[in-house]
Amino acid sequence: MNLNILLMIAVGGSVVTYLLSSISERIRDAFAILVTLAVAVAVAMLYGRTSEVTLWAGFLGNPLLLRIGPISWLFAMTVSAIGCLSVVFSLKYMRGRERNGFYYAMLLLVQAAMLGVTLSGDLLSLFIFWEIMSWSTFLLISFNGGTALAAGMKYFVMSITGSLAMLVGVVFVLVSFNTLEISTVAFALSSAPPGYLWAVFLLFGLAFAVKSAIWPFHPWLPPAHSEAPSPFSAVLSGVLIKMGFFGLLVLMYVLIGRNDFLSLGWEVLPLHTILGVIGAVTILLPTFIALLQTDAKRLLAWSTVAQAGYIILGISFGTALGLAGGMLHFLSHATFKALLFMVAGAVEYRTGGIRDLNSLGGLIKRMPVTFAAALVGACGLIGVPLTNGFVSKWLIYKTLILEGSPFLAFVALIGTWGTILYSYKFLHNIFLGQLPQNLTSVEPAPFSMRVPMVVLMAVVVLFGVLPGIPLTVIDEIGVTLGFSALDVAPWGIVSESGVVNMLNISTAVVVSVLVAWLIFWAGKSGERVDQADSYAAGAAVPEGRYQYSMHFCDPLRRMVTPWLTDRVDAFYMGLTVWFTDVSDGLRRFYTGYVGHYVMYVVLFLSALIFVELLWSPW
Amino acid sequence: MQVLRLILSPLAALVIGILFLGLSRKFMARIQWRYGPPLYQPLIDILRLFTQRSVSHGVVFDLGIILTLAASFVIVLFLPFGGLCPMSGSGGLLVVLYMMLLAPLGMALTAGESANPNSSIGISRWFILALGYEVPLLLVLLAVMTRYDTISLVEIVAAQRSHTSSIATFPLVLSGVAYLLIMPAVMGLRPFEVVQAPQEISSGPMAELGGRYLAMATVQHALSMFIGISLFVNLLWGGASNPLVFLLKMLVMFALVLWVNAAFPRLRIDQAIRFLWRWPTFVAFVGLLLVVVIGD
Repeated sequence: MNLNILLMIAVGGSVVTYLLSSISERIRDAFAILVTLAVAVAVAMLYGRTSEVTLWAGFLGNPLLLRIGPISWLFAMTVSAIGCLSVVFSLKYMRGRERNGFYYAMLLLVQAAMLGVTLSGDLLSLFIFWEIMSWSTFLLISFNGGTALAAGMKYFVMSITGSLAMLVGVVFVLVSFNTLEISTVAFALSSAPPGYLWAVFLLFGLAFAVKSAIWPFHPWLPPAHSEAPSPFSAVLSGVLIKMGFFGLLVLMYVLIGRNDFLSLGWEVLPLHTILGVIGAVTILLPTFIALLQTDAKRLLAWSTVAQAGYIILGISFGTALGLAGGMLHFLSHATFKALLFMVAGAVEYRTGGIRDLNSLGGLIKRMPVTFAAALVGACGLIGVPLTNGFVSKWLIYKTLILEGSPFLAFVALIGTWGTILYSYKFLHNIFLGQLPQNLTSVEPAPFSMRVPMVVLMAVVVLFGVLPGIPLTVIDEIGVTLGFSALDVAPWGIVSESGVVNMLNISTAVVVSVLVAWLIFWAGKSGERVDQADSYAAGAAVPEGRYQYSMHFCDPLRRMVTPWLTDRVDAFYMGLTVWFTDVSDGLRRFYTGYVGHYVMYVVLFLSALIFVELLWSPW
Repeated sequence: MQVLRLILSPLAALVIGILFLGLSRKFMARIQWRYGPPLYQPLIDILRLFTQRSVSHGVVFDLGIILTLAASFVIVLFLPFGGLCPMSGSGGLLVVLYMMLLAPLGMALTAGESANPNSSIGISRWFILALGYEVPLLLVLLAVMTRYDTISLVEIVAAQRSHTSSIATFPLVLSGVAYLLIMPAVMGLRPFEVVQAPQEISSGPMAELGGRYLAMATVQHALSMFIGISLFVNLLWGGASNPLVFLLKMLVMFALVLWVNAAFPRLRIDQAIRFLWRWPTFVAFVGLLLVVVIGD
């Protein structure tokens, strides 16, 4: 399919969805699903093709180009697939709410804009789609109003700062090379001096770093993710922040080029090492901050920041294995984090908007499918074997160890232990433990919510057992970007630098579970008793009085809390206050009283005359 | 042949693990001037437990205990046992590391399904303690992997054998010391017996287990003792070319850990974390630094 038509359908779908909502909600819903599904299928059919079309011949003297290659395809596919699932999930979630026509239109517009970003073949169209994406995202984050408005504002200010840097970068490139077409710019940059490359890297990198929320540009993410409507949180965390990584990949390995990128920086401290350290910090702090959260979605949001650290660690390393690990982790994270946000959304929907982990519990008996989804999602997040998170993290660890960065590997592995703690907290406090009295009549998640969750669960496990499927695509990307090809087999990677054989691992796990189950089955079966019917060493606990999941891991919390103030956020907030004060000071001059303005003019003129009389410089 | 190894390896671990359980009771009894139960007593206990009554709190309660035991079996398959390693070429030490996380997770699911305060406290302590010893443990493992530039356990063992001396070679001495310091924590023995703490929280996560559930938890405990010691022997004590020498090395280490177990009282959980994050971490950190600086 022609890329122009694809993008037209995506953008047009958004407009038509908005118009349809005034006719009938059901037709609108069906249409929105149809459009996103059509886009997803169309993108899937573009696999393996490289084509280029002109979207607009002469926009400000520069043609807007659309182009698809392996890297665009992978990101476009993820965007459209997660987008489609998110729309399906939204059906029940948004039903009966006010302004939901606007919600759907914006959701589709964000997806169209993200599609545009991944497909853009020149920097100007990249910028334009980037802006559409940022603006429509802002509208969706602040959709709920109230605190969501503040969260949206925070996102917006940070995003605009990044976009402005990118705009300066675009102008910078245009002035120097008189073209914005990506491959031509890349060619011109290959002979540019390092100082120039630094400028390009910093200007564009700022925009992408803000969007991908790597430390220290993360403060917008936790409030934005937790305040946005849950289906959109899944899109935000699953694919939108990944646009930042798409940008970084294009910047590092297409525009600047692998060899030039790896030689940037100083002898003792190359740029890619700096990025690796930033990745490590991005893993470490947010992981432990996530541990302290009591809001389900905020916990997941901090976890998103931490997982972004793994991706940056992988892709900044500059080896084929590292790139594969980073890219695969982007894909894994898109699936399991979208899944977990949907879980949080389903629980929120059925319990009447409860996100506080301390007031939930025991929902496994009420929402079994949602629990299964949460379990699979949490396993993926931790990186338990048989899920896709295991393979991607394995590749990243392996890269770090073999490339002689044991300290970065250490941080990454410790991050995994922290992940276990907060993932279990998420699972336990929502689904296990005691069922509070007010939640005894909770119903299972509706069908339209279960479908996307089951699909994502299947993907998490499928890519975990047969990682060769995504790795084949990722390997193609690596080859296009100038990396050596990996020896990919359906069950993993066979290469001289090491083997991961998921088929063996999966078989071992499955057989071990079977053996354990056989041992279990052979024993005398237990009597099924009520949850509260437990042994308390002679001191019976009054029923329904205590919530044991409250302050889970409290000793640890007490120990680490003093170390975990988010100084970056405090810094930005301080900056905001400072700006407000300065602007407020400036405002005092603009009184709105004409007499004052006349006085300023007279004072200025008299100053000029004074200077002229005294020193006569003019 | 391969199939035989696949069966033999977990079976050997099972037998040795249970032997360790019996040995520890005998050993502790003798230290305390008692006669102690016969060596095969734990085996009798486990078999008897399988035939006894128990309670279950639901599907996840069952699932968790199965997962815990299965995870331990998988680890055993990946650990070389004196030249016997059925899953040598499928992912190496990183898989073992990951699988070591699964056993507490499975137990946590079991404990979470029951609304027992003791289990809840025990599980939270288990997670915290694991985070505590995992910091120095990872530093030790990374030092070993960096030193031999491989993530394969079999290659690590082979590399140590080619370095003539079978005890940890020079730059890894500090890592070995660090591992010794955290070994009781890895195995859940005193002074780090905070998870079970029978006198305080009635065996913690085990409080709700009876019958086959308790039997499986005991088997898992036996396997985890095997894993904790086997990891040290493989990574820092040169492994062994035949199972008999390997077993001998394991027994020496086990005796050492039991002495510590007999001599020290239990720490509080925050004291345990403070200790683990202070001395062993410091030693392991310096050890890793040494390996990186010396390089090759």
